[in-house]
Amino acid sequence: MFEISRPTSAIENSTKVKTKIAYINDTPFTFIPGETILTFVRRNLGENLVPTLCDAPNLDPFGSCRICSVDVALVQNGNAKAMASCHTPVLENSFIYPTSGRIQKLRKNIIELVLTDHPLDCLTCEVNNNCELQTVAAQVGVRDVRYPEGKNHVDRKKDLSHPYMTSDMSKCINCFRCVRACDEVQGQFVLSMAGRGFDSHIVKGSNQSFFESDCVSCGACAQACPTSAISDVFESKSIVATEKTRTICTYCGVGCNLEVSTVQGEIKSIQAPFDAKVNSGHTCLKGRYAFKFYNHKERLRYPLIKKDGEFVEATWDEAYDFIASKLTEIKTNYGADAIGGISSARCTNEENYLMQKFIRTVIGTNNIDSCARVCHSPTALGMQRTFGTGAATNSVVDLKYTDAIMVIGANPTEGHPVTGAKMKQFAMKGKTSIVIDPRRTEMAKYATYHLQTKPGTNVAILNMMLYYIIQENAEDKSFIENRTEGYADFKQHVLSMDMNELEAITGVDKELVRKAALAYASAPNAMSFHGLGVTEHSQGTFTVMLIADLAMITGNIGRRGVGVNPLRGQNNVQGAADMGCQPHQGAGYFDVTNAEYHAKYESFYGVKLPNYVGLKIPQMYDAAIDGKFKALWLMGEDNVQTDPNTNHVKKALANLELLVVQELFMTETAKLADVILPAASFLEKSGTFTNGERRIQKVNAVVKPIAGTKTDGQIIIDIMNKMGANEPDYNPAILLEEISKIVPFFAGVKWDELGDNGKQWPVLADGSDTEILHTESFKLGKGQFKKATWKESSELTDNQKDYPFILTTNRELEHYNCGAQTRRTGNADILLTDTLMIHPTDAETYLINEGDMVCVESARGKIDVKARITDEVKQGILSSTFHYPEVNMNILTSSVTDTDALCPEYKVCAVRIRKSKGKYKVS
Amino acid sequence: MSSIQLLLANDKKPGIKNYTAYRANGGYQSVEKALGNMSPDEVTEDVKKSGLRGRGGAGFPTGMKWSFLAKPEGVPRYLVVNADESEPGTFKDRYLMEFIPHLLIEGMVVASYALGANVSYIYIRGEYAWIVDILEQAIVEAKQNGFLGKNILGKGYDLEIYVQRGAGAYICGEETALLESLEGRRGNPRIKPPFPAVKGLWGCPTVVNNVETIAAVVPIINMTGDEYAKIGVGRSTGTKLISACGNINKPGVYEIDMTCSVEEFIFSEEYCGGIPNGKRLKACIPGGSSVPILPANLLLKTAKGETRYMNYESLSDGGFETGSMMGSGGFIVLDEDQCVVRHTMTLARFYHHESCGQCSPCREGTGWMHKILKSIENGTGKMSDIELLWDIQRKIEGNTICPLGDAAAWPVAAAIRHFRDEFEWHVTHPAEAMAGNYPF
Ligand SMILES: Cc1cc2nc3c(=O)[nH]c(=O)nc-3n(C[C@H](O)[C@H](O)[C@H](O)COP(=O)(O)O)c2cc1C
Ligand code: SF4
Ligand code: SF4
Ligand code: SF4
Ligand code: SF4
Ligand code: FES
Repeated sequence: MFEISRPTSAIENSTKVKTKIAYINDTPFTFIPGETILTFVRRNLGENLVPTLCDAPNLDPFGSCRICSVDVALVQNGNAKAMASCHTPVLENSFIYPTSGRIQKLRKNIIELVLTDHPLDCLTCEVNNNCELQTVAAQVGVRDVRYPEGKNHVDRKKDLSHPYMTSDMSKCINCFRCVRACDEVQGQFVLSMAGRGFDSHIVKGSNQSFFESDCVSCGACAQACPTSAISDVFESKSIVATEKTRTICTYCGVGCNLEVSTVQGEIKSIQAPFDAKVNSGHTCLKGRYAFKFYNHKERLRYPLIKKDGEFVEATWDEAYDFIASKLTEIKTNYGADAIGGISSARCTNEENYLMQKFIRTVIGTNNIDSCARVCHSPTALGMQRTFGTGAATNSVVDLKYTDAIMVIGANPTEGHPVTGAKMKQFAMKGKTSIVIDPRRTEMAKYATYHLQTKPGTNVAILNMMLYYIIQENAEDKSFIENRTEGYADFKQHVLSMDMNELEAITGVDKELVRKAALAYASAPNAMSFHGLGVTEHSQGTFTVMLIADLAMITGNIGRRGVGVNPLRGQNNVQGAADMGCQPHQGAGYFDVTNAEYHAKYESFYGVKLPNYVGLKIPQMYDAAIDGKFKALWLMGEDNVQTDPNTNHVKKALANLELLVVQELFMTETAKLADVILPAASFLEKSGTFTNGERRIQKVNAVVKPIAGTKTDGQIIIDIMNKMGANEPDYNPAILLEEISKIVPFFAGVKWDELGDNGKQWPVLADGSDTEILHTESFKLGKGQFKKATWKESSELTDNQKDYPFILTTNRELEHYNCGAQTRRTGNADILLTDTLMIHPTDAETYLINEGDMVCVESARGKIDVKARITDEVKQGILSSTFHYPEVNMNILTSSVTDTDALCPEYKVCAVRIRKSKGKYKVS
Repeated sequence: MSSIQLLLANDKKPGIKNYTAYRANGGYQSVEKALGNMSPDEVTEDVKKSGLRGRGGAGFPTGMKWSFLAKPEGVPRYLVVNADESEPGTFKDRYLMEFIPHLLIEGMVVASYALGANVSYIYIRGEYAWIVDILEQAIVEAKQNGFLGKNILGKGYDLEIYVQRGAGAYICGEETALLESLEGRRGNPRIKPPFPAVKGLWGCPTVVNNVETIAAVVPIINMTGDEYAKIGVGRSTGTKLISACGNINKPGVYEIDMTCSVEEFIFSEEYCGGIPNGKRLKACIPGGSSVPILPANLLLKTAKGETRYMNYESLSDGGFETGSMMGSGGFIVLDEDQCVVRHTMTLARFYHHESCGQCSPCREGTGWMHKILKSIENGTGKMSDIELLWDIQRKIEGNTICPLGDAAAWPVAAAIRHFRDEFEWHVTHPAEAMAGNYPF
């Protein structure tokens, strides 16, 4: 909020300005205008010369501790004044004396004063030897305190109410770092300083405990606190680690960097590195705290083979032999196309690459798909059709440079929390933000415009926006002229639509839509972000195309602060598709039916490959039910719980002759397997993940795979070799080398050169990477305008008569998808079950009270779920999560899919409700 | 009464609180003049020429402050009047607002016009609740008569004035804490830069001025800045309100033209009327509780032996060694019966209570000064405590975010500097100190 620059931004801006001089201990140095004395001194004389307490790398300067004071004089050895260096800009030609005798005495005296209200029990304190106060006290040389014992706050009580966050306010030194972290980094405003002067004390919420407060357990405050006043149950900041390993979070497509502390091979805690480009010192509770699943007692620790309906422990060789002979048998009897594999966007690029290589080159089929199918396949397709490249055009850091954001079908504060926090900060600064969502999400509450659509009407609302932009002459004519094709036809199509009709369809006031459209169009730079609320619809691909159209019509492509930016759900959705885990495209997105590319793949792999498109996930299920598809290999996916229409999925899997599942836990899907292979988690393996902004980042094994398990990559390699291939053992460096030869945009990717912050593809052969796509031209040459007309989902046209409510699905911050991992961590103590959001009026009509069990029934089945009455949903709309197998929400969802990408329509499901009699509880 | 009364000329006139009487006595002419014949910059220029210095305590030249206001395109600007007046011994703004509310409103219209502000605020001390009604009544009347609201006097200039009550914190008189509080947040002072002139209220350029400062704009515009500058002496131009209290016969608010001597101010019938019961003058805090206390000899005459006058330059003659400050004009007189240690302890308690608690030196230091003074007062102090006290105040002064730290340090420093013998006596005579049997 202040104009004082942090070193990085100051340096970024410094190139054009002429150099200016100031003196440190009478030696001249050039400073960067706007730079603070602290960064100036540290840059030139090292980090440790000037101690600080209230300053923190990711927070605005605050100036409250005054430990950082230095002497500043206008002439050499002149009359000096003490100034707080952390927030005072360097004055030209000033003389700075960072360690004058007077200053040293001042620092010592301040620390002495602070210590008069601090327990002197360092030896038993959690952060002993790891405490900033202790360090500074030693540095300034405080040995004893001259003050008599007086009134103090050392008897304050600890707060141990929360599964993760802890506090012991007797250790508080009132530096405000926690308050600022909660405000400036997370934007949650949980912490504040109450009382005045000596009575100042940190409170949570309205003087509540951590557990009762609105805290979202991001841990920013604990990481920021210089003492043990706020910490966490893992004692993350003070743990004396034998090793610290940098790796990447696996819980969403943001791709936060984590620093994991281990003590003798056991993971103890996770912190967020400040130099991480993606998350600069921040994470959400999943990244920081939800790691205890990794050595949970329920981890699968040996292969299991099902015999007579019972799982029997087996050795790896027994399991491999069993699978290999079964696969060979099925291939011989029914052909290779009776076999297929589903890869996982949770796994590394290298593992995904191997998985498709296994299915294509060893089995000999294109029946390879991944869970990207059920989330962002329409994004890839829609963006390929309009731009040529199915990936985010820009980066999250562009939030710093943009003037307006449009968030459509995404709930970033729950689903992509670190990016969500940045967006919230953006909106809270009063900048233009447009949210299109059926629910009043947290972002919607902060947004300038919330277009609260009826589920399933994205195409209609986007057409309305396009209409008003055209009607009001707000297009970017030169961009359209120079960079795109197909506009005339597109324009005519849009203008032919009836706004009153679309207003009725979407349920959103057309005047509001007009204002939002013009706000987006008139912003100098506007970014759009979208999530599964766009893709998981029967018209998902069309919606993505319209989002791309909106960007093109307003010229918001190809520079900083603009673009179309899908918020990728899983940590490596981008990578799974890049690596070729799709039935129609191999590694690097080459069409398998194109003769030239087919030949290229055949010569690269040295085997014959099929030249026709394989089965997508929903087609695999249908083929299995039809008896044409016999064997399925699942790498790390719980399809039964997470794919829609559970009963349909179960029926398909039951019809298989062989179901192989690589898993960490006995999931709902694993229970149906013929063979379960115990895999290692992301904490136990190396490789790369590609985040939502195309950033290929290094995942480094923190610990060895827990006993009895293997990395997914090694498992695939083992079975490939068992079936005749000759792959070396799993090694990401070697695999990346292979990938770089076949995937053009990985051309310059080398394991050793990825560094801590990775590289954004395309990475050219010389190793340089790409922050912004389509700066000069599109992959397709010109951008293609694509039109789309709204159509009601068949789920509603078929069922709405009997099932009048629309159920949509969402995510909660605490849990990740099927929850196999997060339910086995402290997160489960924060969010205990799935709930059904229902509007107060509907609740009243059906006599449902908060917390009552509600029976929800669709054309597929019924479930019981707990009611949460809220006006976040409109009347007639319900919303729920599917994190808990006990609730089994996907019993209800339909098999309707996106017409083009076959992504399931999780977001629209016709249901009816009544107060539960408790009969349909799933056991 | 001094011949020159610019602010309090009409304060005793019947009905002056109301618009009709105020207008009949020449009220709102400065608005007519400024909006009628002067550009905003000309108004600022006139205020510069007047030599008016801020009456809130620091004495910063007002015209200069106004000309520093940033004026970026399309960003609103604000005038905020500081009516928090919580400094012990200071009650001049209360008098102005309670008895001549229209003077403040009139000054605000002219000042806001000069600054290009269309919304202005009065941030008023929470305990002045009844004055809020008076000011709001004046605002309504000014609006009804076309001096406020849309299109003032048909000149196309709009202004709204809002009154906001504080909640009882002295720190909210510090201009940046005031802005935080006005924005609805905890009243913690902000670090500077940026200064309010660049980023003030809601992040927009803002001028914060004292009530009396803004009121003085009215006579300045009416009589011209040049004429105003002829009143007073040196850089102490115009008239100044002094709120006098303590051991004097006639406590109250007086308007002086800054040419009168301190002695005249204390002893003349026109002003304080001398010390009750013929007691001796012991000491005085001439500018509100934050400024250094002066013993009688240094109060009436400077160290150089010259007569001390009631103006900025003269009161600060000798610096902190032998002088004091004009401050906020709260004039507190102590007679021979008063104990300086006790008095200093009372002030230290006040600052300890009022520190916002952000800066470690101020939060902890004010607490320790209070504790140590209390212990000396109670006869449980040690000689080394006096040194410790000195040491603490030295570590606070100049080492904090806002000047409250200084304000807490100066009284202690001055008391030790000028009355060290009393502190030592307390240490050496614990029993008598406890009983309050002072030999001095
Ligand atoms: C702790 C503290 C309290 C203050 N209280 C007041 C006050 O009550 N009224 C006031 O006008 N100025 C007060 N000030 C001074 C203001 O910060 C500011 O300088 C003043 O309002 C500027 O107005 P002026 O230029 O008209 O004097 C206070 C300053 C400090 C540090
Ligand atoms: S954990 Fe995060 S949300 Fe909770 S109080 Fe700390 S900073 Fe705020
Ligand atoms: S809890 Fe920690 S971070 Fe917060 S004010 Fe206290 S010491 Fe500082
Ligand atoms: S925001 Fe996403 S990547 Fe970052 S810590 Fe949370 S779940 Fe992990
Ligand atoms: S000096 Fe005192 S009152 Fe001023 S900001 Fe610092 S702690 Fe608060
Ligand atoms: S680090 Fe500068 S004041 Fe605390």
